[in-house]
Amino acid sequence: MIDKLKGLAFPALVLWILILTLNSFLGFEMAAPVLWATAGLIVIAFAAYVVKMKIFSYIISRFIEAFLTLVAVATFTFLLLRVLPGGPFDQEKTLPPEVMENIAKKYNLDAPIYEQYIDYIKGVFTFDFGESYKYIGRPISEMLVESMPASIELGIYSLILAFLIGIPAGVWAASRHNKFTDRILMFFSISGVALPVFVVSPILILIFCYKFELLPAAMWSGTAYYILPVLALGTRPAATIARLTRASVLEVIASDYIRTAKAKGLSETAVLFKHVLKNSLIPVLTYAGPLVAGLLSGSFIIEQIHAIPGLAKHFVQSVTNRDYPLIMGVTLLYSAILIASNLLVDILYSYFDPRIKLS
Amino acid sequence: MRLGLWLVIFSSLVVLSCTKKQKAEYGLKHEETLKINITSEPPSMDWSKSTDTTSALIQDNIMEGLVEYNFSDPDLGLLPSLAKEWTSTNNAQTWTFTLREGVKWNDGTPLTAQHVVDGWERLLRPSTASQYAYFLFGIKDATKYNKGEYKDFSQVGVKINDKGQIVVNLEAPQSYFPYLLTHHCTYPVRLDLIKKYGEDKWTDPKNIVTLGPYNLKTWDHDKAIVLERNETYYGEKAKTKNILAYMINEKSTAITLFETGKLDVQTPLPSAELSVLRKKEGYQENGILSLYYYGMNTAKPPMDNLNVRKAIAHAIDRNQITTMLSGGQKPLSGWVPSGMLGHEPTTGTKFDAAKAKEFLNKAGFKDPSKMPKIELAYNTNEDHKRIAENVQAQLKKNLGISVEIKNEEWKSYLGKLKSDTPHIYRMGWVADFPDPDNFLNLMTSYSDNNHTKWGNPEFDKLINKAVSINNKEARRSLYSKAQKILTEDDVAVVPIYSGVMHVLINKRVKNYPINVMDRRKFKKVVLQ
Repeated sequence: MIDKLKGLAFPALVLWILILTLNSFLGFEMAAPVLWATAGLIVIAFAAYVVKMKIFSYIISRFIEAFLTLVAVATFTFLLLRVLPGGPFDQEKTLPPEVMENIAKKYNLDAPIYEQYIDYIKGVFTFDFGESYKYIGRPISEMLVESMPASIELGIYSLILAFLIGIPAGVWAASRHNKFTDRILMFFSISGVALPVFVVSPILILIFCYKFELLPAAMWSGTAYYILPVLALGTRPAATIARLTRASVLEVIASDYIRTAKAKGLSETAVLFKHVLKNSLIPVLTYAGPLVAGLLSGSFIIEQIHAIPGLAKHFVQSVTNRDYPLIMGVTLLYSAILIASNLLVDILYSYFDPRIKLS
Repeated sequence: MRLGLWLVIFSSLVVLSCTKKQKAEYGLKHEETLKINITSEPPSMDWSKSTDTTSALIQDNIMEGLVEYNFSDPDLGLLPSLAKEWTSTNNAQTWTFTLREGVKWNDGTPLTAQHVVDGWERLLRPSTASQYAYFLFGIKDATKYNKGEYKDFSQVGVKINDKGQIVVNLEAPQSYFPYLLTHHCTYPVRLDLIKKYGEDKWTDPKNIVTLGPYNLKTWDHDKAIVLERNETYYGEKAKTKNILAYMINEKSTAITLFETGKLDVQTPLPSAELSVLRKKEGYQENGILSLYYYGMNTAKPPMDNLNVRKAIAHAIDRNQITTMLSGGQKPLSGWVPSGMLGHEPTTGTKFDAAKAKEFLNKAGFKDPSKMPKIELAYNTNEDHKRIAENVQAQLKKNLGISVEIKNEEWKSYLGKLKSDTPHIYRMGWVADFPDPDNFLNLMTSYSDNNHTKWGNPEFDKLINKAVSINNKEARRSLYSKAQKILTEDDVAVVPIYSGVMHVLINKRVKNYPINVMDRRKFKKVVLQ
């Protein structure tokens, strides 16, 4: 039973994400019980995998590590903010001292630094990140929860686009090594890597919104709205993944066990997809960890250009506004996503390459 | 094979459970909806607490104050709003406001004088920690209440008399006091509702109760706000049924939407593209009451030398700067921007390269290369940079001195102004209320906004005297004297230009509000 569940874990996860993405991309949403049930199933499958592979203690130690990292991140961010010149309530029109005193009192900014720090860390443990200084009266956790969906949607769509284009393109190019197809694909991929989003996005808007009026340029309210930002954001990772996959496939193709597989008389396609691909995904996975974190936490430029109500603007604007609680909130959130996706990637390593042992 | 079966069952289950997501079109009819862009999420709908123009724009359309501006009056008089009349006695130190009858909040409750007083009390209450509390510091003992020295608001100089009028006693005469009541921070509030829903939740669209020409219907955070006509509004009902206010920060995206008819109005416009945009149909520009200036740290050598300051002020040709900006800004030599009482085109230092050189010689710098290093600072921004570079080039050409320009991120820059003011720094001011006091008060010796380290008792005296009298001509002459001290005799500042706003308006929009205070009340807007 455990064996079966273990086998189910990764295909189910991939399938689940794909279906979920397709549905939400087309403007559908799932009934909550099904959503939770599928999520539960995946968690169970994972647990089975963890038990089977005897990596439980490994996961626990990673969790402890993650926890310590987050505390360190919180501490450093807290201290750096206090060193940063200019306070949250400094503005063009200087406030009278009486008014500043009331504000300092309200936000506990008149307390000694260590007290503020202890209060803050206490808050973090109870998921209470305080209230924003800029968006008066709005709890940070509520703001993050509200702006995360758009960023996550944008991130996942772009990620899937990147994998769907990048991996087949890389495999195809490698199988036609140094031939015309390879050259063309690699020409496009090097262009994709070289073109920054702030160039791609305006060009897309110029063509599709201004010249032909086919797609909306801004906002995030349905399938048509998703297309341009996803294209703009997905192009670059797709190109990078294509190059990584190609290089890695070429390396694997040259190895002994592939020669053995070919010698057994397996077809070219079977060798490529059954034996080569799985083994050449390791470098792509290494790249995918930080990529997932980067895409999920949003892209400032894309969200700005296409007026997407996501998370990314908080990363920049909270610092410009010296909105301490919001800065702390987004920093911790990003760290948590980064740590989680790295852990996931490490587990995936052991799945794709059984020679890698987690301990 | 069993695995494949599992996956098929599993995925079909998932697909079957899907329902159509709700579209965020807000269901508004194009011909009944004015589509504007407010560029960003309003930080707060709580008019006692918010301090930014985005929140104010929405609040000005869902709420009203005791009085409002009369923008058709060149002197910017006031019109009755929630107050039907007001009088001042005791030499502008006591003000009495009579409320209009029959005004109702949109939950049916009649407006009372107590709601107005509650608004002021809440603004001044220490625990509200409102940044704009100082707006009412002119009221007798209001500062003490804000400091927490007085616990009871009845000790403050605001009373409701037996006739239901609001009587305000000020610390000192304040001829502009009614102007403060056009500002959202002085609007009436409903303490009963704030108590019921809590300090932070009463402004949610489902809870908020207002009395202006529009109601707050939807607030889709970071996306859009929908305002709908208030059918129970006491005055003439709004002409356009809905206002759809998008939050699109990127100007070029917004302009694309404007060009394709998805947005009716766009402001602000990117200054680098003004030369192209101003040729478009629907482009308009209008002066606003704002000031862009360079301040000088008069305590830091060589700026402590009056002749050096005079030389620099005479060496800067403001026309050259406004021509470069090509945004319709008006060059300014006096301190009060054009369109306001006290504006005098003749006051202040004028560009005169020969005179500038003369002052530099007088200062003892016959050889400009002996001049100690002068730093010119601005906060990071493309326009500020263009202006700073222009001034740098002018000073080099006209005086032969080299200034070093330095930029810093906004909040760091503000910190630096306080802790270590540079030789020359850029600053600006936008009118809180259209009275010269709002501008000249900045440079009094006790002002927190005066970073020049300059102070002149004579100047302070003139400003304090001018605010206490009600006669326009007498005030004008006092402000004229004060401006001469500031910009000609002591030269603590170099005014550069008074500001301007630019807007693109679709031709189906009529009566779009454009005025010197950039107050946007949409009740008169008609769509064709």
